Amino acid sequence: MNAAAPSTSLKWRYFRQGLFFGVVRLSAFLITATLLLILAYIFMNGFRAISWDFLTLPPTDAMTRGGIMPAIVGTLYLTVGAIAVALPLGVASAIYLTEYARQGLAIRILRIGVNCLAGVPSVVFGLFGLGLFVVFLKFGSSILAGALTLGILILPTIIGASEEALKAVPQTFREASLALGVSKWRTISRIVLPNALPGILTGSILGIGRAAGETAPIMFTAATFFTAALPRSVFDEVMALPYHIYVLATAGTQIDETRPLQYGTVLVLVALVLGIDLVAILIRSVMRKKKRW
Amino acid sequence: MTRQFKEILIKNLFALLAFVAVLVLGLIVVFLFREGLPLFRQISPGRFLFGTAWYPTYDPPEYGIWPLIVGSFTVTFFSCLIAVPLGVLSAVYISEIAPARLKNVLKSVIELLAGLPSVVLGFFGMVVIAPWLQETFDLPTGLNIVNASLMLAIMAIPTITSISEDALYAVPREFKEASYALGATKFETIARVIIPTALSGISTAVILGMARALGETMVVLMAAGGAAAVPESLFDSVRPMTASIAAEMGEAPFRSDHYHALFATGMVLFGITLAFNLIADAISNRFKETGSGTL
Amino acid sequence: MEKDMIVRAENVDFYYGSFQALTDVTMAFEKNRVTALIGPSGCGKSTLLRLLNRMNDLIDGARVEGEILFEGRNIYAPEVDPVEIRRRIGMVFQKPNPFPKSIFNNITFAPRLSGVHRKSDLEALVEESLRQAVLWDEVKDILDRSAMTLSGGQQQRLCIARALAMKPDIILMDEPTSALDPISTARIEELIDKLKQRYTIIIVTHNMQQAARVSEYTGFFYIGKLIEFGPTEKIFTNPSVKQTEDYITGRFG
Repeated sequence: MNAAAPSTSLKWRYFRQGLFFGVVRLSAFLITATLLLILAYIFMNGFRAISWDFLTLPPTDAMTRGGIMPAIVGTLYLTVGAIAVALPLGVASAIYLTEYARQGLAIRILRIGVNCLAGVPSVVFGLFGLGLFVVFLKFGSSILAGALTLGILILPTIIGASEEALKAVPQTFREASLALGVSKWRTISRIVLPNALPGILTGSILGIGRAAGETAPIMFTAATFFTAALPRSVFDEVMALPYHIYVLATAGTQIDETRPLQYGTVLVLVALVLGIDLVAILIRSVMRKKKRW
Repeated sequence: MTRQFKEILIKNLFALLAFVAVLVLGLIVVFLFREGLPLFRQISPGRFLFGTAWYPTYDPPEYGIWPLIVGSFTVTFFSCLIAVPLGVLSAVYISEIAPARLKNVLKSVIELLAGLPSVVLGFFGMVVIAPWLQETFDLPTGLNIVNASLMLAIMAIPTITSISEDALYAVPREFKEASYALGATKFETIARVIIPTALSGISTAVILGMARALGETMVVLMAAGGAAAVPESLFDSVRPMTASIAAEMGEAPFRSDHYHALFATGMVLFGITLAFNLIADAISNRFKETGSGTL
Repeated sequence: MEKDMIVRAENVDFYYGSFQALTDVTMAFEKNRVTALIGPSGCGKSTLLRLLNRMNDLIDGARVEGEILFEGRNIYAPEVDPVEIRRRIGMVFQKPNPFPKSIFNNITFAPRLSGVHRKSDLEALVEESLRQAVLWDEVKDILDRSAMTLSGGQQQRLCIARALAMKPDIILMDEPTSALDPISTARIEELIDKLKQRYTIIIVTHNMQQAARVSEYTGFFYIGKLIEFGPTEKIFTNPSVKQTEDYITGRFG
């Protein structure tokens, strides 16, 4: 009785819906296809270069033969150093932000600071590392300078992940502990942190992946074109996988001859970084299923 | 030591460590300025920013970064032309339409894409896209704006998708129910209620995606071609600011004018991305204040 | 004389996954009357309400058995489009849920979907709906302002006006006053009384006085079953089932 005949037909409305759904499906498909295509391409071209020698020998014959062992080791050192810097700082910042800080100017500044730090271009971190660690503190181009620079680069990632993990711990856990007369610090260290640990771990692993793949920040602070020897102290320069790829692909004298080595190095780096990311993703999904609260 | 005193001590220790992030941001400014400002004893900021010739190794050298700024913004613009629609639409698909299992797969895809090292994408642009472009369009070089923009888009998409998805996910269920109860189809609910409600979050995502593209180094260093001139066509090579810094810092003599000029370029880059981030921050904060209705 | 029944539920069972929320519910709703559904929380009254305009479709793993006949047609028949059903059967929710848009655009949301675009038509509709919802005088000068700036009671009347603007036959109300203060509640109740001249209203309420005040018929639900259904006066003064009496006299619930 009341209903007026609709002038826009349902058929047309569903047609538009179908069209839109088609477009969004296509976008998601395109993105997935891009990732798979890149990975497949790298794998197809890279796996032939991979051999035991490739992984365990230094480059030889003006970098046209041999392996990438020093670069793998260098990346490992830099990454471990970076996480050693970023993890304690990041977790401490996250604890302050979620457990202690009250809304106010200080926390506002802190949040903006962390957000802005996350947005600083990686090459600017490189300049900063050069200016502060290499030049001002006279570390020279070294593992120490590179690890510190990378550590600062991944700091916002670690803070963000830790904060999320801490926030996911139910408020009732804290209240229960505090109501039993347990001090705030003990509540945090005995109740909150253990429950947030898997989340913090996931975030840190993602941070490690990020640090392992970065090139620009280590270009002026740690990475060197070629060294057959392994580093003996934190003040030594190192080869690193990402920088090795860049150098071989752009600056070598025999770019075409070293193409197989380039593909091989790319495959090793991608396997390393995405392997790390995949571990983090798996840990998280297992954790979510197990979650009891 | 009393317990209360200990508690206060611990709290302040954490506060101190938390402010390291802010301190670092400050130090970045200090050291960029320390190494960059000496350039302006030689040339004026105006000539530096708007000079159209970047010939740092000529005699006499020219330090005009206008072509580099134009290069940065050109590749950022074209990459966002690709990344914004793809990224936002995928976020809509993931958040509103995809079945639960596919949703998780796609989220992992986005995360893995975000994890691809930029040097790998730069490499891919060099060895795959460049020869293809060169052949298909019969160009002198395949290292150009198109190539760099394509690769940059792949870098910006994960940022745009994941932040947009968060924003879409945060749209209260009540709004969706109200829309369905008023006889809206799923598409109409998405287009007229969910997207408009999430718009500020999506804007934040777009701005951060742009900032990501603008600050990206390895992709443009390897795939953009490196010509320090204002481009005239999509198939011209460009030399964005990041690429210039990364390529030349190794060769610039310590504390030469060239060295100072690269740091000064870093200052400009830092300033621009900082502005993008502050805008994004302001938008997402305004959203928090007025986002949900009060009873 | 056979009364004019607009909606009938026939042997309706409803499941959320493996949980059975409604068991064998059969009842009919008379046109241009107010029917109240009462019962303790979790008894299935809201579930039944949301079945009537197929809002439960939105829940994963929900399953319906039996028939719900709207003007003689089963709305769960495969060829029936829920969008069409929802346009004829409006709904007002427990918590006021205006869109974060202007008052004007809230009201015109549904009409625009069905193709009303001329400004004068929309303006006429807005005024008519707001007048019916007794909100016009309060908001006629601020139609461009965000609906979020209104008070809770005003927001709920706006939501009623928004539902009225699509010219439905039935209005479902899911505890529409539970988030409101007593004065706003009284205004909504007055409004319900006025609206039943033109609309069929089905209201879920946990407030028994409210059911007694506004409705002609009352159905009492308990653990997914319709225990007793009849004229409100009879239910409240002379219930024939012991459980109903216990609930109404406040012995449980």
